[in-house]
Amino acid sequence: MLTIIRHIGLAKTNAYSKEGDTIADLCNLISERPDAILNIIDGTNLERNLYLTTQLTELGIPVAVAINMMDVVEKNGDRINTEELSRALGCKIIEISALKGNGIMEAAEAAIDAAKNGKTVPMHTFSGTVEHALAHIEEAAVHGLPEEQQRWYAIKLFERDDKVLEQLNLSGTVLSHIETDIKAAEEEMDDDAESIITNERYIYIGSIIKGCLKKKSAGKLTNSDKIDKIVTNRFLGLPIFAVIMFLVYYISMVTVGSAATDWANDGLFGDGFHLLGIGSEDYEAADDETLEVTVETATLADYENALAVVEQYGDEPDPAAYGIWVPGIPVLVGNGLEAAGAADWLAGLINDGIVAGVGAVWGFVPQMLVLFLLLAFLEACGYMARIAFVLDRIFRKFGLSGKSFIPMLIGTGCGIPGIMASRTIENERDRRMTIMTTTFIPCGAKVPFISMVAGAIFGGSAWVATSAYFVGMAAIIISGIMLKKTKMFSGDPAPFVMELPAYHMPTAGNVLRSMWERGWSFIKKAGTIILLSTIVIWFTTYFGFTSDGFRMLAEEEMDQSLLAAVGGAIAWIFIPLGWGNWQAAVASITGLVAKENIVGTMGILYPGGWPEIAANFSMAAGYSFLVFNLLCAPCFAAIGAIKREMNNAKWTWFAIGYQCGLAYAAALMVNQIGSAFTGNLNVIGLLAAIVILGGMIYMLFRPYKEATKLTTNMKLKTAR
Amino acid sequence: MLTWIMENMATIIISAVLIFAVAAVIASMVRSKRKGKSSCGCGCAGCAMNGACHLAEPETLRK
Repeated sequence: MLTIIRHIGLAKTNAYSKEGDTIADLCNLISERPDAILNIIDGTNLERNLYLTTQLTELGIPVAVAINMMDVVEKNGDRINTEELSRALGCKIIEISALKGNGIMEAAEAAIDAAKNGKTVPMHTFSGTVEHALAHIEEAAVHGLPEEQQRWYAIKLFERDDKVLEQLNLSGTVLSHIETDIKAAEEEMDDDAESIITNERYIYIGSIIKGCLKKKSAGKLTNSDKIDKIVTNRFLGLPIFAVIMFLVYYISMVTVGSAATDWANDGLFGDGFHLLGIGSEDYEAADDETLEVTVETATLADYENALAVVEQYGDEPDPAAYGIWVPGIPVLVGNGLEAAGAADWLAGLINDGIVAGVGAVWGFVPQMLVLFLLLAFLEACGYMARIAFVLDRIFRKFGLSGKSFIPMLIGTGCGIPGIMASRTIENERDRRMTIMTTTFIPCGAKVPFISMVAGAIFGGSAWVATSAYFVGMAAIIISGIMLKKTKMFSGDPAPFVMELPAYHMPTAGNVLRSMWERGWSFIKKAGTIILLSTIVIWFTTYFGFTSDGFRMLAEEEMDQSLLAAVGGAIAWIFIPLGWGNWQAAVASITGLVAKENIVGTMGILYPGGWPEIAANFSMAAGYSFLVFNLLCAPCFAAIGAIKREMNNAKWTWFAIGYQCGLAYAAALMVNQIGSAFTGNLNVIGLLAAIVILGGMIYMLFRPYKEATKLTTNMKLKTAR
Repeated sequence: MLTWIMENMATIIISAVLIFAVAAVIASMVRSKRKGKSSCGCGCAGCAMNGACHLAEPETLRK
């Protein structure tokens, strides 16, 4: 049996980070002692990737190297002499292309061969001064360890690595002895020990690359470089990103996605639809005809005749009389329950609760699939990494660590892995700030309610959906500036180096699989947690205390329901935000269970659908509702992740309090200032908004606590 | 009693099916929670970089 343990992100750390995670992983590797290591590296950026390879070969564990992305290497006309590279590194090297599926089995077999046939001996050596110090350290401190592990431990001791020092627990005499050797080397080479090893590794890699890699376009710009000159341009980068995100949302929410979602909401989860559109045109023509209103002077007899005709044919045409009519799920379920003779409460629970609630969420599946397809394409072709680069430059100026952007990028899918990804940030203050702000970026679960607000209140505007991303980013940047100016978060951001993969055309299979995995996760979630929530919401909406005692309520009696009582008790809080009705208050609270619940709850509480929602929200109130639910505390699962990552109840509550406070302040400003512009001025509300805005501007422009300006310390390295 | 059961047979059967479905959903959520999966159902599929990495960890293959 072959067990593969994947160390994701081991290679993602770099020579300029503190390498805490790499060392921890390497320590795990050396103590777990797997039979072999299969090191998969990026062939388009060989120099940087071989850095980790040189470390792995020092562990005394057999290593096989698989050079990935060979399809791109060959396409670029570059050639890698794997035989020579294999000799220089002391391990077997296989060329693979994960995208095309080439060389995968050979790589696995190479790893098995490496496991069966002995060990890997590191071929690289450092300069004489370093080797001299390493020999002393090996002799003095790690002599008792297995021979094949001695070199790696000696190098780590030379680098004064905390984790290794802690693990070996050396005596004070030994420590002072090896410190003398390290200091001597540092003085001779005029650098600190860690940088000496880093530089020596790159010098060695540079020397072997010369003989093993022939670049066709050495010194010339590759196609990726040419595209990056425009896409990551200092001035054009952000506008290009805005246009691309607008197109993504325009396609997924207004054009293709909207047509599909209209069918799902109005047809599949509505009254029904014409199969393949057969009969739609005739029905619409007949419907338009009946909508024509003419004013005529008629006798009483003519009027009575007209009434008789309306009574005979109905006041609007029956769609089922045109083409092939397929009834919607609520109609089929309703008819089925009626035919079976189910009790009214059960029919109501299933149709008005489960079908309306879950259906309202599932109705967005087509839009979500189109959105996921486009995002998967952007990720797979390499553009997402460029977005990280473009925004990293901006974020750093505002005090957020460049590493903070990775959790936020992951947070676009789901906030939980986003929050967990903040572990890569060594600086505790930056990590806490990243945890607090990661969920401001709209995750997949927030997309349905963003789409619902855009569709119901803003006529399906793509700008509203796109703006949600920019509101999230603005909240992160503003939070970054404001929090960095407090004592709790002050300090310079940590340096960060990012690797940009070459652009490439993704395979249809990869993009479709990514789309389906995310789409299926969304569908499954609506069938589990959302389904349970809709049952609770229906019971509490359709049951309540009336003058006749506790009983089931009719649709027009919802105001007397249990949920109305609970919602009414907290709805006053949201009056300044423009949506102080119990339905919106309850929807926001149920969103804490899962953000899709906002849509499910609105589906149950507004049986009239989008027109009823539009009638209950002004544009300012609608956008305020969107902003509040976008920025406020995330779902309980994500709050749990915040608690785990903060590992401190006080910080967890602070994070939730900050998120809700910022959401409330932003939504209040949106509603009050928006209402003032649309002619619904509320003087007290506007004053409150101006005071909040003033407070935020003060926080944005007040001087930093520890320094007069924020400086960044970023080392740049250009791969050739 | 029998008359009441006969009169409400459809309601009883549909309610039983619904209760069974809800119990199955709760059991599935509890199982997921015990396996360490989040109730939000995200995991790898929820990650924006899912297209780039999609293998389980750790993964056991039989050869």
